[in-house]
Amino acid sequence: MATKVKVTDLHKSYGDNEVLKGINLEVQENEVVVMIGPSGSGKSTFLRTLNKLEEPTAGSIAIDGIDLTAKETNLNKVRENIGMVFQHFNLFPHLTVLENVTLAPVELGKLTKDEANELGRQLLAQVGLADKADAKPTQLSGGQKQRVAIARALAMKPSIMLFDEPTSALDPEMVGEVLKVMRDLAEDGMTMIVVTHEMGFAKQVADRVVFFADGYIREEGTPDAVFNNPQDPRAQDFLNKVLNV
Amino acid sequence: MMKKHTWLKFGTLIVTMLLGLVVFSATNVHADKKEPHYVITTDTTYAPFEFQAQNGQYVGIDMDMLRAIAKREHFTYKLVPIAFNSGAQGVLSGQFDAIIAGMTITPERQQVYDFGTPYYKTGIIAAASPKSGITSLNQLRGKTVALKTGTGSAQYALSIQKKYGFKVTYFNDSNTMYNAVALGNAAVAFEDDPVMKYAIKNGIKLKIITKPANAGQYGFAVKKGQNQELLAKFNAGYAAIKKDGTYDKIVAKYLGAKESTFAGSAKENNSLIGLLKQNKDQFIGGIIKTLQLTVFGIIFATIFGVLIGVLAVVPNKFAYGLSSTIIYIFRGLPLLVLAFFIYIGLPSLTGTKIPAIAAGLITLTLNEGAYIAAFVAGGLKSVDVGQMEAARSLGLPYRKAMLKVIMPQGIKLMIPSFVNQFIITLKDTSILSAIGIIELTQTGTVIISRNSQGFRVWFLVAMMYLIMITLLTFLAKWADKKFGNN
Ligand SMILES: Nc1ncnc2c1ncn2[C@@H]1O[C@H](COP(=O)(O)OP(=O)(O)OP(=O)(O)O)[C@@H](O)[C@H]1O
Ligand SMILES: [Mg+2]
Repeated sequence: MATKVKVTDLHKSYGDNEVLKGINLEVQENEVVVMIGPSGSGKSTFLRTLNKLEEPTAGSIAIDGIDLTAKETNLNKVRENIGMVFQHFNLFPHLTVLENVTLAPVELGKLTKDEANELGRQLLAQVGLADKADAKPTQLSGGQKQRVAIARALAMKPSIMLFDEPTSALDPEMVGEVLKVMRDLAEDGMTMIVVTHEMGFAKQVADRVVFFADGYIREEGTPDAVFNNPQDPRAQDFLNKVLNV
Repeated sequence: MMKKHTWLKFGTLIVTMLLGLVVFSATNVHADKKEPHYVITTDTTYAPFEFQAQNGQYVGIDMDMLRAIAKREHFTYKLVPIAFNSGAQGVLSGQFDAIIAGMTITPERQQVYDFGTPYYKTGIIAAASPKSGITSLNQLRGKTVALKTGTGSAQYALSIQKKYGFKVTYFNDSNTMYNAVALGNAAVAFEDDPVMKYAIKNGIKLKIITKPANAGQYGFAVKKGQNQELLAKFNAGYAAIKKDGTYDKIVAKYLGAKESTFAGSAKENNSLIGLLKQNKDQFIGGIIKTLQLTVFGIIFATIFGVLIGVLAVVPNKFAYGLSSTIIYIFRGLPLLVLAFFIYIGLPSLTGTKIPAIAAGLITLTLNEGAYIAAFVAGGLKSVDVGQMEAARSLGLPYRKAMLKVIMPQGIKLMIPSFVNQFIITLKDTSILSAIGIIELTQTGTVIISRNSQGFRVWFLVAMMYLIMITLLTFLAKWADKKFGNN
C-alpha cells in the first residue's frame, strides 16, 4: 500500500502562539483517519496545512511523495489532488449548484463544459441531489449544501479528501445524510482525513483514530483501542466527556 | 500568490492606457502639415476682444485680427479659450505657443514674455453699480472690490489698495465679475477701459467712476525666447493689416456694433425657449462634450479603479503599498488641482503639450478611479475568506479564484457605489471647464458672457444636467437589474 500523506515534525505558530508542536503522521492509501480532540487543539490548523491553506512554520509534508514545503512544488497541481470540505460549506453563492461543481474542472481545462456537466450531474446523483442541479446554494438546506460541497470537491477527481467538521454546522436531522455520503466514499476506497465530533462515524468508518490535544497527537490507534482503552489521561478525560453525554 | 511578471503586466496596462489616451486625443489636433501650426490661447470672455458669437465661433477684435494675420502670413492655429490666468501660465509652461487676450504689456510680463507690436491703447477704469451711490474711489474704505485673476487691472487695484482701504475678491472671467458688482456683492470692479465700456454699452448695469489710469498697450505674447518665428509673422501681418485698413475696419465693427448684432435680440433672450433655440448648437455641443467626458471617464476610471482596487487585496505587500498610495494621492487631491497640474504643470516639466480633453480624461480617470479603487478594495475584502479558501483548495490559481469567485460576488456588492460614482463623474466634468474644455458648464459661461442672461441660462444648464443624471441613473438601474441578479 502506498503512503499518501507523510507529515514529519510539523510545527505551526501564529505569532507567539505555537498551535502545532511537532506532528508526525502517515496516512496510507484507502485509509480513513478520524481526528478528534478538544476545541483549539489544532485539528483544523493541521488539516489546513495539508493543502497549504496554512503555511507551516517548520517540518515537512509530503503528499504522494511530493514535498509541499519545497519551493519548486506547484501547489495548485497538488491541491487538485486533495479535496477539501469545510464546516461552513463555502459554496459559491453566485453560481448554481451544477456550476459550483463544474467550475474548477472547466476553468483548469480538465474537462470541456459538456464533459464537466455530465460529470457534475453524475456526482450530484451520487450525493442524492440530481434534481438540484439548477438551484442556487441559498435555496438548499444545510445538509444539501454540504453534499454539494462534497460533489464539488470530487469533481477534481482527488485521491485524498479532507473534511473539517463537515456536520458541525448542521441541524441534527441532516447529519445522517452527509455521513452516509462520506461512508459511501470510504467504502469506495477514498483516502480520507476527517475532523469530527461524530463518534459513531469514527467507530464505524475509521481505520484509525487520532487524538489531538495542545498541539500534539496524544493518542493514536484503531477506533476500538482509542475509544475503549485510551492510555493518555487527556484522551481518557475527553472521551469520558463526549461518549457519556 | 501572483508572479512578478503579472504585476508588471498590470502596471504596463495602466500606463499604456493613459498614454493611449494622450496619443488618441493628440491625433485630433494635427492640422495639415504644409503651413506651420500653432496652439494659441485666448480668454473665454473679453468682449469686444474675444467672445463667442451666436454661432459658437469666437469673434472680437483679437479674434478677427488673428484670423486676418494668420491668413496673410500663412500659418494655421488651434484656438484654446481658457480663463486668462490659466492661459497666460499655459504659455509659460509650453502648453500654448502664444496668447492673444487683451493682454497689457507690463515690465513684469516682459521679463517672461516676448510681446509683439502693441496693437491697442488701453487704461484701467473702475465701475460701480449706479444704485450703490458710489461715485469715487474715496468711498471704498472697508468695501469689497471685484478683480479678475492675473490681470493688469487687478495689479493696479492692489497697488492702490492701501490708499483707499478696500478688500478684494477674485473672479476668473469678466462677466461674472460685472454681475457681482451689479448685484451688489462687490462695490466696484476694475477693468480695462475698452472692455468695460463695451460691456456697459451692451447692457451691463454699471457706471464708470474713474478716469483711465496706468495707460498701457495690448500685445500678442509668446514665452520669452520661444516661438520667435510666430512672433515675427504676427508683427509682419499686423503691420500689413494696419496699413491696408483691415485693422481699423475690425475695430470699428466691434466698437460700433449694437449688442444684438452678436448677442441675439432682446426678445429671444427673454424667454427660455428663445434662448434654447438661439443657442441650440452650442448647448448640443456642450452636452456632447460632457457626455463624452462622462462616458470615457467612467470607462477608464472603472478599468483603472478595479485594477488598483484588486492590487489592494492581493497577498503582496508591494502591490498593497502601491495601491494605497495611489488611492491616497488621487482621492486626496482636489479634482481642479489635479486637472491644472496635468494640463498646465506637467507640460512645463516634460515639454509636451497635452490636449485639454486628454488632460481632462486623465484627471477623471485618476480621481474617480481612486474612489472606485477604494470601494472595490472594500467590496472584495467583504467577501467571506472561506470563498477564496474553497476556490484555492480546488486547485484554482489565485487569479482565476479572484476573477471567477471573488470578483463576481464583490462587484455585486459594489453596484450601488458604482452608480453613485458615475453620477459624481458626470457632475465632476463641469470642473474641467477650468482647463478650457467647452463642456456644458463652460458653454453656459460663454453664452452668458455674450447675452448676460445669467439666471435663465444657468437654469437651462441645471435642467440639462438633471436630465442627464436621471437618464444615467435609469441606465444604471436597468443594468443592475439585467446583470446584477445572477
Ligand atoms: N488565523 C489564525 N490566527 C491566529 N490564531 C489562530 C488562527 N487560526 C487558528 N488559530 C489558533 O490556533 C489554535 C488552534 O485552532 P484550530 O482551529 O486549529 O483548533 P481546532 O482544534 O480546530 O478547534 P475547534 O474544534 O474549535 O475547531 C486556536 O488557539 C486558535 O485560536
Ligand atoms: Mg476546527
